[in-house]
Amino acid sequence: MRADGPDKVTGSGRYTADLTLTGALTAKFKYADVTHARITKLDVTAARAMPGVFAVLTQADVPDVKFGPFVQDRTLFANDVVRYEGEVIAAVAAVDAATAQRAADAIVVEYDPLPVVNDIEAALSPDSPLVHSDWADYGSSMIRDRNDASFASIAKGDVDAGMAAADHVVRSRYVADGCHAAPIEPRAVVAQWEGNKVTIWTSTQVPFDARAGVCETLELPNNRVRVIVPHLGGGFGGKCGFHYEAHIAALARAAKRPVRLVFSRREEFLAPDRRREGIVYDFETGVKADGTIVARRAWLALDNGAYTADAGFFSQLAAMHALGPYRIPNALVEAHLVYTNHQPSGSVRAPTAPQTCWALESHTNEVAKAVGMDPVAFRKLNAVDTGAEGPSGQTYGEIGIQQCIDAAVAGAGYGQDLPEDEAIGVAIGWWPSFAMPSGAYVKIDGDGSGQIITGAQECGTGAVMTLRQLVADELGMDAENFELVYQDTSVAPYDMGATGSQTLFNNGRAVVAAAGQIAEQLRNLAAEHLEASPADIVLADGVASVAGSPDRGVPIAELAGIAAGGELLIGHGSGTPPGAPPIVGAVCVGDLGMAAWVAPQFSCHAVRVKLDRDTGVARILHVSAAHDSGTIINPVGATGQVEGAVLMGIGQALTEGTTYDADGRQRNAAMLEYKLQTCADAPPIDVHFIQINTPDAGPRGAKGLAEAPNVATAAAISNAIAQIVGTPIRQLPMTAERVWEALTSQHVVNDQVVQQAVSA
Amino acid sequence: MSFLIAQSVDEVLAAMAAGARPIAGGTDLVVGARHGKAALPEALVAIDRLAELKSISETAHGISIGALVTHHDIESHPLLTTVYAGLADGSALVGSPSTRHLGTLGGNIMNGSPAMDTGAALQVLGAEVELRSSRGSRRVPIAALWARPGQTTAAPDELCVAIHIPKPEGSSGSAYLRLEYRRAMEIAVVGAGASVTLGDDGTVAAVSVALTAVAPVILGLTDLQSVIGLSIADAAAVVQQLAIAQATPISDVRASDRYRRHTVGVMARRAVEAAARRANGEVIATPVNHAIGIGAAS
Repeated sequence: MRADGPDKVTGSGRYTADLTLTGALTAKFKYADVTHARITKLDVTAARAMPGVFAVLTQADVPDVKFGPFVQDRTLFANDVVRYEGEVIAAVAAVDAATAQRAADAIVVEYDPLPVVNDIEAALSPDSPLVHSDWADYGSSMIRDRNDASFASIAKGDVDAGMAAADHVVRSRYVADGCHAAPIEPRAVVAQWEGNKVTIWTSTQVPFDARAGVCETLELPNNRVRVIVPHLGGGFGGKCGFHYEAHIAALARAAKRPVRLVFSRREEFLAPDRRREGIVYDFETGVKADGTIVARRAWLALDNGAYTADAGFFSQLAAMHALGPYRIPNALVEAHLVYTNHQPSGSVRAPTAPQTCWALESHTNEVAKAVGMDPVAFRKLNAVDTGAEGPSGQTYGEIGIQQCIDAAVAGAGYGQDLPEDEAIGVAIGWWPSFAMPSGAYVKIDGDGSGQIITGAQECGTGAVMTLRQLVADELGMDAENFELVYQDTSVAPYDMGATGSQTLFNNGRAVVAAAGQIAEQLRNLAAEHLEASPADIVLADGVASVAGSPDRGVPIAELAGIAAGGELLIGHGSGTPPGAPPIVGAVCVGDLGMAAWVAPQFSCHAVRVKLDRDTGVARILHVSAAHDSGTIINPVGATGQVEGAVLMGIGQALTEGTTYDADGRQRNAAMLEYKLQTCADAPPIDVHFIQINTPDAGPRGAKGLAEAPNVATAAAISNAIAQIVGTPIRQLPMTAERVWEALTSQHVVNDQVVQQAVSA
Repeated sequence: MSFLIAQSVDEVLAAMAAGARPIAGGTDLVVGARHGKAALPEALVAIDRLAELKSISETAHGISIGALVTHHDIESHPLLTTVYAGLADGSALVGSPSTRHLGTLGGNIMNGSPAMDTGAALQVLGAEVELRSSRGSRRVPIAALWARPGQTTAAPDELCVAIHIPKPEGSSGSAYLRLEYRRAMEIAVVGAGASVTLGDDGTVAAVSVALTAVAPVILGLTDLQSVIGLSIADAAAVVQQLAIAQATPISDVRASDRYRRHTVGVMARRAVEAAARRANGEVIATPVNHAIGIGAAS
C-alpha cells in the first residue's frame, strides 16, 4: 500500500494550511496590480497604525539582495519599478485575514506608468521598451542582450548546405500560449522564530531550494533555517523554486509572532513565478525525396515574463526539443528567453517540452506530407535508435524509442478505417534524466522496524513512496516494515526535491547505498550468529540465512534486537551521480548542459480524436502511450503517472491557455475560465512500458517518469485534428473556436506554409 | 448579519418582508460572495428545511416542481427524464454531482443568469413560476421572470415556491443542448432548448425554441410560425438560421460573439432534431449532450 495513501484518502493527513500555531497572525500581500510602472510613492504609515496590525514590510525592511538562480534580477519586494500584476509590493501580518486585507488596502502606492512589453517577438526588436533598464548590471552567467535574458543555440554540420541538398523544404510557424500548473492546493507558508532560528512549513516541491532562497535573501546560514513540508497537495512544477518563504519569515520576525499565509486561487494564478511559458516557433526542415531529414533550422522566442526564475535554462532545453529525437545531420536552432511584463515563467512539468513537441511534431507531419510519406513511417525512418547519433551530436546507448513507436501505434489500432470525423494522431517525445547529488539515511530499530530518513520530497508522484520498496528489497524485508521521515531540511541530507523527475533516479541511488551499509551489518551479525561467512549470508523474506541452507537462518528482527544492544543499524548513502555524456560535432552557445542527456527517456503517444465539425469541439476517444523510462519498479504508480500526465496533456492541447489583455494582465485567472480537464473527460488510456537497460540509468535501470508522459500528448492530438481539418491548428491550446476558425477558413490547405520543391 | 433558519413558508415570507434574502443550496450566493461578485446579504433566511417546497407532483394539467427540488432530483426523476426530458437535460449538466445535490431549481431560475442550464428548457416547456409573498400569491410565465443578468421581475419580498409545467400535448418532445469545452464543472458557452410537437403526417405542428447565453436573458426565438408544416430537417435548418439572426451574443474570455452566434445556431438545430426524435417516441438518454451531442464519446 502506498505509504501516504491512507492519510490522504481519510483526511487524517495534514497540509500546510491545516497548521495552527498559538498566536499565529495572518499574512496578506499588497500586489502591484499594474503591469509596468515606476513607484513614485509608497506609504505604509496608515496600514502600520491600524489596530491589530503587527507588521508591514516593504523592500526597505529586508536586506538589499538581488536574487535569481540564473539572473539576479529581482528583490523580495518591488523596488522602484513593478513589472507584472502579481508582483509583491508589501506584506502585512495582522490578527486576522480581514484586518490584514484592510491594512493591505490602506497601503498607498502611486505610479508613473511605463510602456508595457506584451508581445514576445516585439520585445526582441531593438526599439522595444526595456523590461529591465538596468539589465546589464545584473549578476548572471547567461548570454543576454536587453530583453533577451538567455540566448542559446545548437549548431551542427552545415545547415545551409543541408537545405540546398534537400528535395523539399518545409517551413511552418506555430505559437503556444502560456499555461499553468494549477495544483489543487494553493500554496501556503507558516513561519515561526525561536531565538535566532526559524522554522518554515511550506507547500514547496523543493525544500532545500526554498531554504537556500531564505538564507540568501535574509542573509542567514543554512543551519538556522529549517524548512518542513507537510503533505503537499500537488505541484506539477508550480511549487518548484523559492517563493514566499522569506516574506513570511521576515514578517514573523518583525511581528514577533508566528505568521501564516494561505493563497487564494486567484493569487495562485497571478503571483508565483511558475507558469508554462508561451513560445513562438519558426521551423524549416529540409528533407530528401526518400524521406530522410537532411537539415533543420528553428527560431524560438520564449516568454520569460518579468523576472528570470528557473527559466534560465529553458532556451537550451527548448532548442533540444525543437530538434527532437531525430537523426539530423545539419542543424541550427536559436532560442531566446524574452522578458515581458507577464507573470514570470518557471518549471511546469517537463518545461518547454509539451508545447515544443506540439509545434515540432505538427511540423513533422507537414514534412512527411510534403514527401508523401505516412507520418509513422516517416518517424520510424528518422527517429534516433540505439547506437545512432542524435541531433546535438550525442550517440545513444541502448534506448527504446523505436519500440515505443511500434507499441503505441499498435495499441491505438493505427491504420484501421475510421469515420470521417475521427483520426489517430501520433507523436514522439523525449526527456532527460537529471543526475544530481542526493542523500538519505536508513536505520533499523531494536524491534526490527525501520525508518528511511530522506531529503527527497513527495509531490504526489509516489516516487518517495517507492523508496521503501528499494530499501526493503535490498534488505530482504517487506516495504511495510519501513516508515518514511522526509520533507525536513534539518533532519535529512540534501536532495534537489520533486523536480526534474529525479527522485527515484538520484534518491533511489542514495537509499540503496544506505540500505547496503545496513545489509553489510546484518550479514556480519548473521555470519557470527550462524557461524558462516558474511559473503554466504542471504537476506530474504525477513530472514538472514546461509546460502544453500535455508534452514540455517535467523530473523532479521532478531538481529536488529542484538544490534540494539551493540553497534546500531544505521546506514547513510549518496552515491556518485553519473557524468554528462559527450557530444561530438555540435557547437552550443549558451550551454547549460542541456544538449546531452544522461539516460534519456523516450515516448510515443497515439491518440484517437473525434471532431465535431460544426463547432470545432474535439473529444479524445482513446490514448495509447508507450514509454521507455527504463525499468519500472512500481507498475501501479508508474501507470498512474502516465495517466495523469496524459490528462494534463489533453488539457494543454485543448482547453488550458492563459489569455492576456492589452496590458499583460491575465484574463482567465480562475478555475471556471482556465479549464482543466475533469475525470468526466478522461478517455481510456493504455500504457505500454518499454523496459530497456539504458546505460547510466538509476537504481535497477530506472530512469525518470514524472514529466515524460506529459510531452507528446498535445502533439499527437494536434496531428489527429490536422488530419480531420486538413490543416494544422497553429496556436496552442487548440480550442474549439480556433479549430472552428481553421475549419471555416477560406484557405484551408497550407494557408501559412510554404512548401517549395528544390531541384535535386 | 442575521441568519434565520425558517421552519415554515410564512416565516420566510415575514423575514423577506423585513428585508431578508432567501438561501437554499447556496451554490450561487456563497460562491459569488467568495469570488467577490456580490457580498452576502445582511439578512439571510434559510429555506432549505421546508419540506413543502421539495415535492414533485403530477397533476391533471402537468407537473409541479417545488422550488427546493434539486438538480439531482430532476435528473433522476422518471417523468422529468422522459415527458419533460429537456429540463432533465439541463439539470444533469449543472456543475458537479455535489452542485447538483445542493443546487435547486428555484435558486437556478431566481439567480437569473442568462447562462443557466434549466432556463431555456423551462421556457420552451411553457413553465410558470409561482411567487408568494405576505401580500399574496401569483403566477408568471417564466419568460416574464427574467429582467436582465442577475435580475428578476419578482419583488424583493416574493419567494419562488414552485415551477409549474403544463403537460405536453400530442406527439411532443423536448431537449436542451449546450456548447461545452469539458464534460463537468462547466458553464454553457451557448445553449438551446427546443420543444417540438409533430403532426400526424410527421411534420412539425408546433415548436418553441429558447437560447442560452446569447442575450441578457434567456432568449425566446420569434417568427417560428414559418416552420409549421415543414419536415423535421427543414424546420431544424430554419431554426438554425433564426437563432443565428436573433442572437445578440457578447465576446468574452469564453468565446467571441462570432463563434457564439454560429454555435448557438448549431445548438438550436440539434435541439430541434433531438426534441423531434423524442416526439417520435425515440428514447434519448438525458442529458442529450452526453448521449448524442457535444462531448458524446461516440
